[in-house]
Amino acid sequence: MRALIIDDERLARKELEKLLEPHDEIEIIGEAVDVDDAFEKINTMDPDLIFLDIQMPGKTGFELLEELEKVPKVIFTTAYDEFALKAFDVNALDYLLKPIQPERLAEAVNKLVDQEEKPEASEQSTSNKKLTIYDQVFVKDGDKCWFVKLSNVRLFESDGNYIKVYFDNFKPMIHKSLNALDEKLDDRSFFRASRKHIVNLSWVETIEPWFNGGLMVQLKGGEKVEVSRRQAARFKEMMSL
Amino acid sequence: MNKKKLYWICQLGGWMLYGIANLVGFSFVRAITPELIFGEVFQVVFYIGSTHFFRLIIKKRDWFDLPFNRLIPRMAGGILLMSAVNSSINYIIVRGITSRQATDLIALLIVSMIVYFLWSLIYFTYHYFESYRKSLQHKAALNEIELSNLKSQLNPHFIFNALNSIRALVDEDPEKSKDAITQLSHILRNSLAADKKRLVSFDEEMKTVRDYLALESIRYEERLKTKLNIHPDSEACKIPPLMIQTLVENGIKHGISNLKKGGIISIDTTFIDSAFVIQIRNSGVYINGVSKNAGMGLENTRRRLKLIYGDQVGFEIRNEDKNIVLTEIKIPEKIKDESINYR
Repeated sequence: MRALIIDDERLARKELEKLLEPHDEIEIIGEAVDVDDAFEKINTMDPDLIFLDIQMPGKTGFELLEELEKVPKVIFTTAYDEFALKAFDVNALDYLLKPIQPERLAEAVNKLVDQEEKPEASEQSTSNKKLTIYDQVFVKDGDKCWFVKLSNVRLFESDGNYIKVYFDNFKPMIHKSLNALDEKLDDRSFFRASRKHIVNLSWVETIEPWFNGGLMVQLKGGEKVEVSRRQAARFKEMMSL
Repeated sequence: MNKKKLYWICQLGGWMLYGIANLVGFSFVRAITPELIFGEVFQVVFYIGSTHFFRLIIKKRDWFDLPFNRLIPRMAGGILLMSAVNSSINYIIVRGITSRQATDLIALLIVSMIVYFLWSLIYFTYHYFESYRKSLQHKAALNEIELSNLKSQLNPHFIFNALNSIRALVDEDPEKSKDAITQLSHILRNSLAADKKRLVSFDEEMKTVRDYLALESIRYEERLKTKLNIHPDSEACKIPPLMIQTLVENGIKHGISNLKKGGIISIDTTFIDSAFVIQIRNSGVYINGVSKNAGMGLENTRRRLKLIYGDQVGFEIRNEDKNIVLTEIKIPEKIKDESINYR
């Protein structure tokens, strides 16, 4: 696994590097000293994993995640940010408290390696630049944050300058345009149903004919989405293999 | 001494003194007869009994809690009743022995009213002083509690980051890491001891601040520069423990740590117009109310200073220029130790 260490303190980076020495499965490909540096390095180096400090000058680790289109696996490293970490959905991420205990680090690394060995994850590494259902995105709405696997997202719905992201029982908003998102998403899994909606095809439950040659699609989460006439033909084609 | 014992000593001792003083007074104008002594003893016993009974009523009915306009008629009634009973019995018994004039009854009544009035005056005055003292104590205790709540605590974020830096430093520079451990332990010890003290000398506080800055320098390396410019007379000045340390910490947390290139922290002390002036500067921009936590910390410091020094203390934070934040504390020099709100 190719990892990037992001921390503004040289000694903290050095310490983590030292702690990672015995872990052959982790290859450190670089270091970043702040969010802007990290943003650039993540986009050019495309690491599988980042070790991310939360408090950094200028922007926080959370802001970095918000900026990223595609979020690598993340292990947070922090000295004492109880509150920041509480904001997260449990199990959504791993975090290490500084000074880092070697056993805890080993645990976190092993957990990631186990995930990597699963077939779905290996597919991820071969994927192109597009976001597939195996990728995860970082969603922050107010004080609450989530790491969401795209496979769990049923529906993206545009709402003004925002997009509502439907997953589990949540529908937080992200500040993005639906068109920009549509370009990033893998079109084998996600379908632009209309001007306002992108649906995840694997969540489709029933399809009914609708007015004007359109379709009404009901998702497994209960949401109903109208597919415009223009897209209906393409949709039928995709769903019928 | 408990209050019950005190009451009995005053009650018995006072009335006996009263009786003796009366007899001594009589001895100048007439011969002391056994009858006179008997009469006086009877008086003293009656006074002790009646005022004790009166006190039971006062306590039982909570007359202390009454406002004056309701208390005074009750007291007047009580005094009148006791004097009437006292003087009548006194008159009958004593007349039986010495065959006095009937007009003496009025005189006896007036004298005994005055005596009862004086007793009430003493009793209530003592009580009011006592409750005033208690309310002062209560207020002082509340202040103390508030003060200890306001006392700054060491920021755990700092401790763990420092430990993390030290861990890395062990390989890189073992000597320096040893120093760092000593510095950190000094800070920890100091913050534990600070709970018990209201004021420390400036000198003592600066030792902690220097250790604190040394540790933060390890962490921030070239990003943190420090400059101290301390007036030689500052040493003995008294300040609340951890106050400067908290403000410096604030400056690093909200200033230096947010700057990619880092910045400078400086501490200057001077004496201006008989005030001890501490100025703490840090790189950064102060935006009022931008961070709730920062606001709380500063508000705590402000209230703490006020509780200790009263209104004469000055505390101000502002942008000195576009990238320097100045925190200034002015402690009036003329406030000597004893006038400071110690306890």
